[in-house]
Amino acid sequence: MAGVSNGADEADDTGVTDEVDEIAGDGEAGVAVDRVGKTYEGDGTPVRALDDVSFAVEEGEFVCLVGPSGCGKTTLFRVIAGLTDATDGQVLLGGTPVIGPTTDMGVVFQEYHLFPWLTVAENVGFGLERSDRTDAERERRVDEMLELVGLSEFRDSYPKSLSGGMKQRVAIARALAVDPELLLMDEPFGAVDAQTREMLQRELLDVWQSTGKTVLFVTHDVAEAVTLADRIVVMAAEPGRVAEVVDVDVDRPRERGDPAFGEHVARVRELIGARP
Amino acid sequence: MATDTGGRFDGDGGTAIATGIGLDDPRRLVRGVAGIAGFVLLWHLVSLTQPAYVLPSPGAVVDAFAEELASGTMTAALWSSIRHWAPGTFVGTTLGVGAGVALSWSRLLDDVTAPLVRTLRPVPPLALIGFAIAWFGINDAGAAFIIAVGAFWINFYAAYGAVEGVSNDLLDVGRTLGVRGDLDMVRSIVVPAALPGITTGIRTGLGRCWMLVVASEIFGVPGVGREILRASNNLLVDKVIAYILVLSLMYLLVDVAFRAAQRRVLVWQA
Repeated sequence: MAGVSNGADEADDTGVTDEVDEIAGDGEAGVAVDRVGKTYEGDGTPVRALDDVSFAVEEGEFVCLVGPSGCGKTTLFRVIAGLTDATDGQVLLGGTPVIGPTTDMGVVFQEYHLFPWLTVAENVGFGLERSDRTDAERERRVDEMLELVGLSEFRDSYPKSLSGGMKQRVAIARALAVDPELLLMDEPFGAVDAQTREMLQRELLDVWQSTGKTVLFVTHDVAEAVTLADRIVVMAAEPGRVAEVVDVDVDRPRERGDPAFGEHVARVRELIGARP
Repeated sequence: MATDTGGRFDGDGGTAIATGIGLDDPRRLVRGVAGIAGFVLLWHLVSLTQPAYVLPSPGAVVDAFAEELASGTMTAALWSSIRHWAPGTFVGTTLGVGAGVALSWSRLLDDVTAPLVRTLRPVPPLALIGFAIAWFGINDAGAAFIIAVGAFWINFYAAYGAVEGVSNDLLDVGRTLGVRGDLDMVRSIVVPAALPGITTGIRTGLGRCWMLVVASEIFGVPGVGREILRASNNLLVDKVIAYILVLSLMYLLVDVAFRAAQRRVLVWQA
């Protein structure tokens, strides 16, 4: 099938490592996941959650990470975000190893996790308080972000009065406010209804295109991945590893009725062993 | 970017805040007044069958109240008790919240202090009267100490539990947004997130401290508690009830004021 590269084979030879080296070398704002492994020392037998995971996301690229449940997507997300330490390997952001959470990454979680005691504007400005921007600059940045996600009129509302879709827009604005190199998202649209999800997907593509950010987007929804991504990293379970990297050669905006769209969905589903 | 607001969500989300004491709902107010009236009537009827040293009539209590008020004894006693209650509650609450947050947040502090905390916890404030006298003497400070001990434990456990309940996800979000170090994390995320639980503890403590006023004055410091103890020794039950009413009224006043403040602070709560 056209446009589908074999990531599993690449991981075995030096293909991915070359790509990783390339990103590590030129200081670009890309991400390189370099032979990452994670073992949980539970009660009794250790569990291998991730094994030799390598792939790279180039600057400005939109990459989705899909896989069956239990394939370690969320563990990988946490490792990339610096919230969990990898047992082996490393993650490079713009060539620098990630050793902990960093404001160079804007992280968006599935359940929004807005700060309920802060207004929408205060939530968006939270990360800016720790930057060296002046008050006026912060204010301007918050306004800009609220404008970007279309929530300017809700700046003084508390999260309790927002719908799920609006909360996730605030979370995206909050993550983007500090101007990170990478937007890292863990099933961000998993908790909203189908109609809102499609709208948020369109909006995210707009934001991506207008900001030029690098995006790494974790999802279990194959159609969502095909709608959004330049490339899809397909994972397999037990242990969590990269099964294949699929290029999505479909022009945007992508229509679900397009035969090429359907082919990609079928291909990815086959790879993860899910029923169509 | 479009929004899907459609007018289902009001802008500030804080338009319908009840005062919580029923004044905003006439039906609840009427029912409450009816309840009190019924209780006083029942009390009056029962008191007709009993001698005054067992149960004085409501009228006798009102008389005793007026008499104590007119003589100045009541205001002097109340003022004295406030001098025990206010500093005792303030110090106990501050230390209790501080210790609760610190020990709940820090694994190290918690491990070091856990045996001590478990040993001291079951000691009732009243059992510490000997220390109150030895350390502070039979004076306002000694009484305030007893009250502070009571306030401390209530606030300690409320704050401890509230901090334990703060979601790890919020802490993770904080870390990704540049929160670094314990102090920054506690100040900008842990305490705000735990505030509903902490303020509930403070509120419980404020009420409990009015109860402790009686115990704190048992060793002879003047105040409302002292008047209650003295009157009951002399079987002046009408006077006992009059001073109990003083405590109830103070409790009510403080509680209503605190709840109003609490609602302002927690306006963001669902």
